[in-house]
Amino acid sequence: MPTFKLDGKEIPFEPGDSIIRAAWKQGIEVPHYCWHPGLSAPANCRMCLVEIKPPEGQRGVMLDIVEWDEKNQRYENKRKPKLLPSCQMQAVENQEVLAETSPHVLEARKYVQEALLLNHPVDCPICDQAGECKLQDYWLEHQGTKKRMREEPIHKPKGVVFGDTIVYDGERCVMCTRCIRFMDEVAKDPVLEMRERGNLNEIMVAPGRKLEGNYTFMVEHVCPVGALTTKDFRFKARVWFLRSAKSVCQGCATGCNAHLDFDPRYNKAYRYRPRDNEAVNKFWMCDPGMMSYHRATEGRVVSAYVKGKTSSVKKALDEAKSLLASVPASSVAVLFSAQHSQEDNWALRELAATFMGASNLYVTGLPDGFEDNILIHHDKNPNRAGVMRLSSAIKPFEDFAKDVARGAITHVIALGGETPAEVDLSNVQIVTVAAYEGALTKAAKVVLPATSWAEASGTYVNAKGMAQVADKALEPQGLSEPGWKLLAALGQALGYDCTWAKLREVRERLEPAAPATTATAPASELAK
Amino acid sequence: MMTSTLLVASIIKILVIVGFLFNVAGLLTWVDRRQSAMIQDRVGPNRAVIKIGKFELRVFGLLHTAADGVKFFFKEDFMPPKADKLLFSLAPILVMVPVLALAAVIPMADTLCLKQIHMTAMVNGAEQSWWPAAERVGTCTTDSVEGAVSPLNVGILYVFAMAGQGIVGAGIAGWSSDNKFSLMGALRAASQMVSYEVAIGLSLVGAMMTYGTVRLDDMVRWQGENAWGIFVQPLAFFLFFVSAVAESKRIPFDLPEAESELVSGYFTEYSGMKFGMFYFAEYMEIVTSSMLVVVVFLGGWQLPFLHRDGLTIAISDVVLVETVKMSHLLVTIIGVVTFFGKTLAICFIQAFVRWSLPRFRYDQLMRLGWRVLLPAALANIFITGLVLLAIQDAGPSVQGALKTAADVTQGIVAILLASLALRGVVFAFSSRKIEHVLVGSAAAMSNARGGTKDAPMGA
Amino acid sequence: MQAFPKKPASPTNATPVEYTEKNLTTQSYLPEIFKGLGVSMKHFFANTRDMVKGQRPDPVLERYSAGVSTISYPEQKRPYPERFRGVHRLTHRDDGSPRCVACLCCSTACPAQCIFIEAGEYPEGDKRRGYERFPVRFVIDELRCIFCGYCVEACPCDAIRMDTGVHAVPYDSRDQFIYDKTALMGFTGRDGGHVTQNPRHEPGEAGHPGVDREHGH
Repeated sequence: MPTFKLDGKEIPFEPGDSIIRAAWKQGIEVPHYCWHPGLSAPANCRMCLVEIKPPEGQRGVMLDIVEWDEKNQRYENKRKPKLLPSCQMQAVENQEVLAETSPHVLEARKYVQEALLLNHPVDCPICDQAGECKLQDYWLEHQGTKKRMREEPIHKPKGVVFGDTIVYDGERCVMCTRCIRFMDEVAKDPVLEMRERGNLNEIMVAPGRKLEGNYTFMVEHVCPVGALTTKDFRFKARVWFLRSAKSVCQGCATGCNAHLDFDPRYNKAYRYRPRDNEAVNKFWMCDPGMMSYHRATEGRVVSAYVKGKTSSVKKALDEAKSLLASVPASSVAVLFSAQHSQEDNWALRELAATFMGASNLYVTGLPDGFEDNILIHHDKNPNRAGVMRLSSAIKPFEDFAKDVARGAITHVIALGGETPAEVDLSNVQIVTVAAYEGALTKAAKVVLPATSWAEASGTYVNAKGMAQVADKALEPQGLSEPGWKLLAALGQALGYDCTWAKLREVRERLEPAAPATTATAPASELAK
Repeated sequence: MMTSTLLVASIIKILVIVGFLFNVAGLLTWVDRRQSAMIQDRVGPNRAVIKIGKFELRVFGLLHTAADGVKFFFKEDFMPPKADKLLFSLAPILVMVPVLALAAVIPMADTLCLKQIHMTAMVNGAEQSWWPAAERVGTCTTDSVEGAVSPLNVGILYVFAMAGQGIVGAGIAGWSSDNKFSLMGALRAASQMVSYEVAIGLSLVGAMMTYGTVRLDDMVRWQGENAWGIFVQPLAFFLFFVSAVAESKRIPFDLPEAESELVSGYFTEYSGMKFGMFYFAEYMEIVTSSMLVVVVFLGGWQLPFLHRDGLTIAISDVVLVETVKMSHLLVTIIGVVTFFGKTLAICFIQAFVRWSLPRFRYDQLMRLGWRVLLPAALANIFITGLVLLAIQDAGPSVQGALKTAADVTQGIVAILLASLALRGVVFAFSSRKIEHVLVGSAAAMSNARGGTKDAPMGA
Repeated sequence: MQAFPKKPASPTNATPVEYTEKNLTTQSYLPEIFKGLGVSMKHFFANTRDMVKGQRPDPVLERYSAGVSTISYPEQKRPYPERFRGVHRLTHRDDGSPRCVACLCCSTACPAQCIFIEAGEYPEGDKRRGYERFPVRFVIDELRCIFCGYCVEACPCDAIRMDTGVHAVPYDSRDQFIYDKTALMGFTGRDGGHVTQNPRHEPGEAGHPGVDREHGH
């Protein structure tokens, strides 16, 4: 692989890479606002300027300048090299590039940063971006000086509603055009545009339109400053109170990688942020997926139920035991859930198929839905591929509906609460381990509260067959416990030798049963 | 007729001594608080109040004593479930009764001759009445009222017997409470009382030898005619005073109670009026021990130069002021007042001791009792005996000199008392230097407002 | 007679402790006991005299003079110094709404985590919309508060102050220590007013945001 030198360090690059991208791949950040690894490079923020040494024997472009000489107390004529934006300059073999080591570059960064902050309202205390704002970070790193302009800053529209999800603040905007390019290049809906010139620049929505579609949230996440904020997160929390867990979106079978931001003080999730994964979602997430963090608290089963009444887990287990004790395995249906993690489903398979010997295996989950060709998958369950891998005998939910109607099934051990279609469940006795309420929990005699994806670490296999681990973020709510733990307790209550007690044990036994290809995230997660 | 008069006199005496004992014990609880506050530069109790309309009665915090009484009566009378019910209830009574009984033999005044109080006679045809003075020496044999409720022959021995009974109550209280702290407190109380009982008894032997009697009223009379016990038996006075403080189980000798170690010692488990009785008995013990000190060492009802017949200031044969005859009743009343006054002064000093000195450790307490006070008391007995023998063998000139010295001590006491009174008056009209210093913004604000002095509370 | 052997001179600058020699005077303790009684009596008589004559030194103005210097608390109060940190208050604007913009800086600075704020947005059309937010709920747990004053330091709007002059108040239940927005806005400063003298600019006024403090309008 060819290499070039950045500040004396050898940087390998693929032909066609810009200097900034090659550095980014090596985990070196050249400061930037407008450049985004997933978008085109307009080179309009001028923050990524670097000094490129001319090849041996050639003259570089030099500029004539005057500089104040402190010693002689007068302006002197000087020359300095012309700096170039690293986001647009392609890396060339053996080229020598100076960034941190060039005083010209450092000076340029300082002045660019000062110019960007010239008309900024500096309302960080009420800005949601404060704490993760590029302007703040770069001011600290590269500027560190007071504002010198004494004039009234330019006033621009504030609190402009761009659509159902996004609010725009013109004064905070640095006109990097990331949002415009995102809507154009990724969402394929060029609804945002820039108007006016110079310091009167502002972002606007195309007349007669509003910012809509399935990728509006990403506009906020590509924005390096606080100009674009989502209504959902606006004024809800300060980011420095939030902690992040590496999670996997539960919205569909794509399994986008995400950070789940939560406040440990209140045990509450506040938002998703996309997590870069070249193999799955690149840098993006869809709106329904972004909003699906609400499922961490909404519609959850947080207590055990016996015949519709709340009870302790122990009593529910006793009830389940008396319900299932003398039932022949042939009349028991086992419902796996594409909503639950691979660990939970594995535990159910161990209990039902291995110990009980049940052979009527089905899968349940949410019904199919909308699909596009960017990220959104028609299957709205995060782990269907994983469930299907557990046994070849697993039949779709329609067969379950038929078998129930036929009367071949009297008892059901289920995972999850939702069903893809309505079924008359009045003739079957259901024991379910569920995180969410649904048709099954309504009809069930016994409901055991399982944790959601946010409250326990779990593996999910997406439609491409990649097993991805979502880390634990929140503490379990109410009485809920990980599903595999509840299933082990259920198995022990029924008298089976269900010995798994730790997540590690489950994972160790799970791997050979369901081999998975694990996707790798790129080394750097610098860009949003 | 005489019997009924004696009966009335006895009832009056009982009322006076018991009334004094109870009231002073009650007052002492207030003195303890108020005096400690004054010693420690505090304001002291002033919260208990009786409100009559807008008028607020506080009487310098005296109502706290009343409030205490009310509280004792209305608090829950708690008894530990495993306590010995009978003994637990008996203990406070056993503590209280001996102290009361002890007061029976304390002489408050000289013997009152009923016949000599008031006289009538026909003089020159008109009936005249007058209040005569008594004889200087000797008492009337009939129709007399003794100064004590029950003037026993064994006098001081009865005092020892009764004072020793207090420990029984304390011991029983500790044992019946079913509490380790109580039991340890009781054990400490027992050993402390026994140790100091020895010193107290032996220290008085010297005094008895000097006075030649065990009757308390005779002791006082001897002191009136000669010198006060404190001059004759200074070491015995000191030993007796220390032991008496120790007997009352107060700081510096409060090991049986020892808040810092034993919660509250032998009465840890007591509450309500039962606790009140322990508490009260302790203060009554202070009063009775003070009475004993006064009777044995401070001349009882005697004042310098005030004799049974009136005021005579004379040192040996040199008469400075001729006898001013005073009526028998007046002299007796002055005697009673003097006795009670002296008692109060000693109580007061005991309170000072309690608020000035740090506590002993238990081993130090024992060492003081057995290795200092006891040998000192024994030495005192021997020295007293030797001196007495020497005086007996000496001629009348030595005895005359001693008599003069005794009169001089009376003079010293008189001068001391007078100078103290003068000093008090001068002190009362002096005032201390007060410095006006403003430090910080708080003081500046306070100054602008006119100071923090305007206390709406009764002082 | 030496009670304790004399220690060699300390190599540091410490002053060696001087031990009293043991002799009959010290070992009998009697002189010291009488001295102690004397001190007690001196205090007692002098203080009693002062109390009777009503000549107690003022506990604040005459603080260095000897004598009874008790402050009878609920009736008498020691004035707090000017910069005393009392119970918090939320300052008002001219229109009576809180100055607070719910930035959570105080809550961030708080080492005891006693401040809870829920931010709200002004409705569309309000001139403050976009420029400011406001506290929907502002709750301080005065029981948790350690009265360090960091919240006051952190506040960019001079919206929270501790100049009420009211010290931490005792209550009978924990709920009563939870001060909400209404309670906090109800307190006044020591001058009796709800506002502060520091200037603020409403949105729309010339020079509202954007210029730094030293060169403010």
